Amino acid sequence: MLSYVIRRIAATVPVMVVVALFVFSLLYIAPGDPAAVIAGDQATPADVERIRQSLGLDRPFLIRFGEWVWQILHGDLGTSIFTNLPVSAMIAQRIEPTLSLMVVTLLVAVSVAVPIGVVAAWKADTLIDRVIMVVAVLGFSVPVFVVGYLLAFVFALELDWLPVQGYTPLREGLWPWLENLILPAIALGFVYIALIARVTRATMLEVLQQDYIRTARAKGMGESGILFLHALKNAAVPIVTVIGIGIALLIGGAVVTETVFAIPGVGRLTVDAILRRDYPVIQGIVLLFSFVYVLVNLAIDLLYTVLDPRIRY
Amino acid sequence: MTALVSDPLVAAPARADIAVAPDLPDIMPPVRVRRGFVGFVCRHPAIAVGGALVLAMLFVAVFAPWLGTVDPTALAPAQRTREPSALYWFGTDMLGRDIYSRVLFGARVSLAVGFCVAMLASLAGLLIGLTSGFVRWADGFIMRVMDGIMSIPPILLAIALMALTRGSVGNVITAITIAEIPRVSRLVRSVVLSLREQPYVDAAVAAGTRTPTIILRHILPNTIAPMTVQATYVCASAMIIEAILSFIGAGTPPTIPSWGNIMAEGRALWQVKPYIVFFPAIFLSATVLAVNLLGDGMRDALDPRMVKRL
Repeated sequence: MLSYVIRRIAATVPVMVVVALFVFSLLYIAPGDPAAVIAGDQATPADVERIRQSLGLDRPFLIRFGEWVWQILHGDLGTSIFTNLPVSAMIAQRIEPTLSLMVVTLLVAVSVAVPIGVVAAWKADTLIDRVIMVVAVLGFSVPVFVVGYLLAFVFALELDWLPVQGYTPLREGLWPWLENLILPAIALGFVYIALIARVTRATMLEVLQQDYIRTARAKGMGESGILFLHALKNAAVPIVTVIGIGIALLIGGAVVTETVFAIPGVGRLTVDAILRRDYPVIQGIVLLFSFVYVLVNLAIDLLYTVLDPRIRY
Repeated sequence: MTALVSDPLVAAPARADIAVAPDLPDIMPPVRVRRGFVGFVCRHPAIAVGGALVLAMLFVAVFAPWLGTVDPTALAPAQRTREPSALYWFGTDMLGRDIYSRVLFGARVSLAVGFCVAMLASLAGLLIGLTSGFVRWADGFIMRVMDGIMSIPPILLAIALMALTRGSVGNVITAITIAEIPRVSRLVRSVVLSLREQPYVDAAVAAGTRTPTIILRHILPNTIAPMTVQATYVCASAMIIEAILSFIGAGTPPTIPSWGNIMAEGRALWQVKPYIVFFPAIFLSATVLAVNLLGDGMRDALDPRMVKRL
């Protein structure tokens, strides 16, 4: 078991190296002169040269990469070209809204999607199942900003139940904080709910055919007990896996959701950085979120033995 | 079938008390199989509906100039932010441009991006997947690289690439293709690895067939079904990412009308003029839905076990 944990953790190292190498070498992969693009149309040759030097594009690739990795290992993600502030400080300033949004979305999505998927599998091939699956296809098809505008239009503008835009920090109270996050969380969670519900349904359909489910029915166990005690427990591993994989959707979607709902988080920072062509900031954000994503999935992998004691390494 | 006919139950002479039609040897009631177009629609409603919608959108994109549109970039400062009316079907934006025309022309960008990304990602993924499946010493390295790229959320990866290039449709296609390649490669690799274990491939190897011939004869035909399904999902996801990139200002340049651009321009006014955002949103959602339906339908029709979403 311990050796598995060590091997699994060691296996993430090459992945992280590839991520770092990829994010770093984007500057070299891109067609044209990145320094000129980042400097913009009104830049003088001196500006371009300054940016080229600050990005280190005039120095050997491997040396730059080594130095960059060394800095990152010391918690230094570089310096913004635009504000001259450390990238890590800029991200730290904006992380609370983004984390809040993602955690609320995760909770909402999982608590909606899993029961929906279970019901769809239980009532397989009935009208309820069909409706749920059609809504799931819609979830994959309607982009997050469309859902966001629709929700904001109906529940904020027309009905005036919730605020249209903005964000209130958690320290100013639980309800003001939550009130601003409900609509963004539903918008962001829609595709995530669709994904989890579909996988839950597929896995549950498989589990419900097992002999022990028939035994449970035969001994007179109630349907909800069968579904949630026997079946869902055995379907846990694929469901938790897809929850982990789907976090990529949350991270990408957060950028857009924050733009729609004017939430001052890392997503907005990303959009601002694109418009200012502030490349170190973009690099830092991509790197940070990718590492978070890898670590979350590592944690889930390690959770498998807890979820399913039959899994032994 | 001979076994059925010689079955004593069927072959037994008709008893007097039971009316048995003597000229009906088959015990199975005849199944009415609908053939032709109607039969296809009944058996695969998802493909029919999705396909029809995609074709309709393709028609709109190709024939946009002849569908009652005006120049989508023509400014009319006197006609700014008009509500939808008989003259301006979808209204006008804050520069007085006709949104109906812009939305119809916008279909071109979305469909072109979706189609090109699906094609390019499939082709690149096929090459990488085949290499990984056949050149075993390279497999570990290739798959670690793919794992690495896959652990960057696709939208962030496309954003990072677009931030480094000038906005153009070609660059958008390249950026999204790079983000989508790992998934296709993994799919092809898994198909290749399972096919390599098949007895007929062993037989071909034993018979001395050269690897290129094996790939051409046995591997490629078997990758077509799962790859077609995957390509539709890649297409749907590419259209969404293109709209997202354009929406946050990192995609198609503002001079070209695309659904994401129209929505980005309507963003500032959406609380008072929501139609600017909603018309392109409806078209985008309907198109992506159509492609997803097509993909789901084909997945069920071709091979329900081969392809799983993601």
